[in-house]
Amino acid sequence: MKSRPKVLVVDDEPDYLRIAARIAAKAGCAVLTAPTALEGVALACAERPDMILLDVGLPDISGFEAARRMRKDPALAAVPIIFFTVRSELDMVTEGLKLGAAGYVLKPFDPDELLRRIKAAVSVP
Amino acid sequence: MTVPPVYCATADSAVEAFVRASLKGSRVTVCRSAAELLKAWKGPGLAVIDSVLPDMGGRDLVAVLRGAPRTARSTLVLLGRGPHSPAAAAACFDNGADEYFTLPADPRLFRARLLNLLARGGACAAPQKPAEYAFGALRVSPEARTASIKGAPLRLTALEFDLLMYFLRNQGRVVSRSVLLEQVWRLDCAASARAVDKRIEALRAGLGRSYGAKIRTVFGLGYIFKL
Repeated sequence: MKSRPKVLVVDDEPDYLRIAARIAAKAGCAVLTAPTALEGVALACAERPDMILLDVGLPDISGFEAARRMRKDPALAAVPIIFFTVRSELDMVTEGLKLGAAGYVLKPFDPDELLRRIKAAVSVP
Repeated sequence: MTVPPVYCATADSAVEAFVRASLKGSRVTVCRSAAELLKAWKGPGLAVIDSVLPDMGGRDLVAVLRGAPRTARSTLVLLGRGPHSPAAAAACFDNGADEYFTLPADPRLFRARLLNLLARGGACAAPQKPAEYAFGALRVSPEARTASIKGAPLRLTALEFDLLMYFLRNQGRVVSRSVLLEQVWRLDCAASARAVDKRIEALRAGLGRSYGAKIRTVFGLGYIFKL
């Protein structure tokens, strides 16, 4: 039997961490969470998630920098990363998408859209 | 009048065919994602954006483009997917779209409305926000800062009105208490989340039973406003 896809959610805001984790679970995924970028990078390297939902404005290093560090690990080089953030400035969005993000979702968000994007990223029908 | 060069963001070949057929005679540059559009298009001008893109929601992309100096004065047209929802359309306009169509749409109507839009102000016209928004019986005037239901004015405090506007701009989206504190109260998350709950209760009361019930509590997470 195929195991459930694993999703890592990194967000320093407990409310959003909970919401996103709940939506990922609804998509049929096993969920890992981290409240800081550095914990997220360590967890990603250790657990090899199938998808990463990553806040941008994190207290230690930015979500973009965390994504760069994750991408250096060959096992994470192609893992879909969706940025999930209040940062709507054009330069920020452009930078996020240039990093090869599978998605860029602005907060506050539509739960149905986030669910659809998570399913698409982990290929759940 | 001819339609000026158009940038169209869509990954859907049926949407691309619709835009090309509707705007026959114009140069249409198709971008398959938000990333491609941001790379190819420097603005200002005219962009037609599919609400469903592989890497971003069209409504989010419109808000980003409208907020950026290089694209703020562009004409932004959003293509939604059926069935048509007035509330979703209103939210798109409030996010900065100049025009909104639900697909499938009539190509002749699409072309005619686009030409009218361009004739009124050109592709570089500053976006004009309507003086009043209607959500069924609920009417809201952001400039006058007034709201009414079936013509009866609502008695809302300044903060409650700001809350209502924030919910209207973010319909169908989960909003956490800390984001409300940051975006509406303009405070950091150290302020009491209980203050949010109390003010939401007051707003629900102010909106009356039918519209107050549209602000739903998402247990442990925050609120969602759905019309």
